[in-house]
Amino acid sequence: MEIGMLPISASKRGKLLAAGYTTLHSIARTSPTHLARDIEVSESEALEILNVATRTSTLDRSCGSNTNIIDGGQTAWDMFNEERFSSLITTSCVDLDNILGGGINCKEVTEIGGVPGIGKTQIGIQLAVNVQIPLEYGGLGGKAIYIDTEGSFMVERVLQIAEACIEDMSEYSHHFHKDNQAYGVKMHPNSILENIFYFRVCSYTEQIALVNYLDKFVTEHKDVKIIIIDSVTFHFRQDFDDMALRTRLLGEMSLKLMKLARNFCLAVVMLNQVTTKHIEGSFQLTLALGDSWSHSCTNRIILYWNGNERHAYIDKSPSLKSASAPYSVTSRGIRNSTSSSKRIKMV
Amino acid sequence: MKTEAHNLLQKLHRRTEKCSVGCPILDRCLNGGIPCKSVTELVAESGSGKTQICLQLVLSAQLPPSHGGLSSSSLYIHTEFPFPIRRLKQLSRIFISSHSELLGSSDPCDRVFLRGVHSADEFVDAMPEIEFFLTYWKARLLPVRVIVVDSIAALFRSDFENSSLDLRKRSSLFFKISGGLKSLAERFGLAVLVTNQVVDFIGEDEGLNNGMRIGNFSELYSSGRRVCPALGLSWANCVNSRFFLSMDDEYEEGGGRVTKMRRLSVVFAPHLPQCSSRFVITTEGVFGVEMHKGNV
Repeated sequence: MEIGMLPISASKRGKLLAAGYTTLHSIARTSPTHLARDIEVSESEALEILNVATRTSTLDRSCGSNTNIIDGGQTAWDMFNEERFSSLITTSCVDLDNILGGGINCKEVTEIGGVPGIGKTQIGIQLAVNVQIPLEYGGLGGKAIYIDTEGSFMVERVLQIAEACIEDMSEYSHHFHKDNQAYGVKMHPNSILENIFYFRVCSYTEQIALVNYLDKFVTEHKDVKIIIIDSVTFHFRQDFDDMALRTRLLGEMSLKLMKLARNFCLAVVMLNQVTTKHIEGSFQLTLALGDSWSHSCTNRIILYWNGNERHAYIDKSPSLKSASAPYSVTSRGIRNSTSSSKRIKMV
Repeated sequence: MKTEAHNLLQKLHRRTEKCSVGCPILDRCLNGGIPCKSVTELVAESGSGKTQICLQLVLSAQLPPSHGGLSSSSLYIHTEFPFPIRRLKQLSRIFISSHSELLGSSDPCDRVFLRGVHSADEFVDAMPEIEFFLTYWKARLLPVRVIVVDSIAALFRSDFENSSLDLRKRSSLFFKISGGLKSLAERFGLAVLVTNQVVDFIGEDEGLNNGMRIGNFSELYSSGRRVCPALGLSWANCVNSRFFLSMDDEYEEGGGRVTKMRRLSVVFAPHLPQCSSRFVITTEGVFGVEMHKGNV
């Protein structure tokens, strides 16, 4: 990473270069006082430059190229910094984003489960589209991998959601840059489709083979920022007499996915089905694949009906407090629930 | 195993291929008909028109894509006996007379293959046979691209007890059958239509709640009774789309005839919003009825 790339004023950049600081690495080792003396600026300005530099280099590092201390080693401070700048993928539903702390987190494995027809596939498609929102609009400008095990992925629906997403972006840019034509949205629905890598798997062996292959695929396509598996469950609910084997295979697969999420700084979203569980004489709804599976994701979100409204509930998360929020599935994709927007209007 | 990602634009068309159900109004409600490469389910009580829609589907599948069909033959797997062969003959005669220029001289019934299946295990055993059959017909003039299973519920009605072991075995079979159908659907580009029966809603007795909400409707009614799709939650996970047919006590009077009004509603489907369409069944087949404004 060059000094020339730093987002600071041109005069300061010139001073840095004149003083012999050409790479980010070289300023990273200096103290603010030292730097202030070397390039003849005030100490607070030097501190600001250093802050910008560390931010840029952590961003750079989070893409997996830099080696710190020793391979794989990292201080908690680095982790904290990374987390501060780590990216979130919006769900397009403000209420849902709020309880998720801004959206689906990169570097984490999130499991979303619910009854048929609650909108799991819709959320999956929405995320595959939203990950492509360009940086200027607060998105990631990334690509998506969509692993379809059930055959519910419908192109016409993706197109519909993509068109609505582009419409929203151009409305947003119109709102904020009324007189600036340069901000017109240049995205086309077709390009959104092109940036979703779609895999259709028809058996659990195919699913495992594909997860093994993903490492290679993502290495070649570094801009993939989300992997969606719709659903992780389907092939594992047929034909398993040996439950221990199933648990082992699932465990192995989830480890691989976690590793992918961490190494490539991408979000993994697994959609899961629900099943009834017989507990002490009564039947309860739980996510499928059993108890040991429930340890294999970082976050777990359960979707359910509350009267006539769809709700999402955070069942498990190391960093988020458990909360629930309403959402709705509209022709334009996942949006705020109509009742909650009414509530806001009334206030 | 495909290790290569599809380029969505090239590989898939801008719209998933559909097979017309033979009525423009119903097709519009379904955005073109029954989608290929996925499993669609029709749920309804007996006598509401499931089999009628299936029969009409296997006929209109023979039309060229320009007319909403797939230019294909179909495989009709029936589990309820006897197969309504006389009704198929009747519909196919009407079908010929309205589409004679598209079909040539062949009899549409020659393009419908029938297979009777008596139990779930027999169905699983028949899978390789079906696959072989599809491969054989793939290179022919009208390859098989539609599979109808009428009905799936009948396969599971008798052989299973209400014990926890049997229930588990049963749901494992659901996934096996649906996994098999889906993988065939993907490989051969099939439109798969499965029919299912309903059971009466019995309330939240003993914690077993068969009225659990699945899809767009919190309660389903047909002929004034509250009903639930048979086979429960596990099977609901096995289908991509579910449509519900219901009967009202309304009658449409026209031309001196009295026809019972029915309704097709989308319970869940990845590509469709919540919508419904009314239809009638006549000698000529299944026909959607245009909704009058303000009467929706």
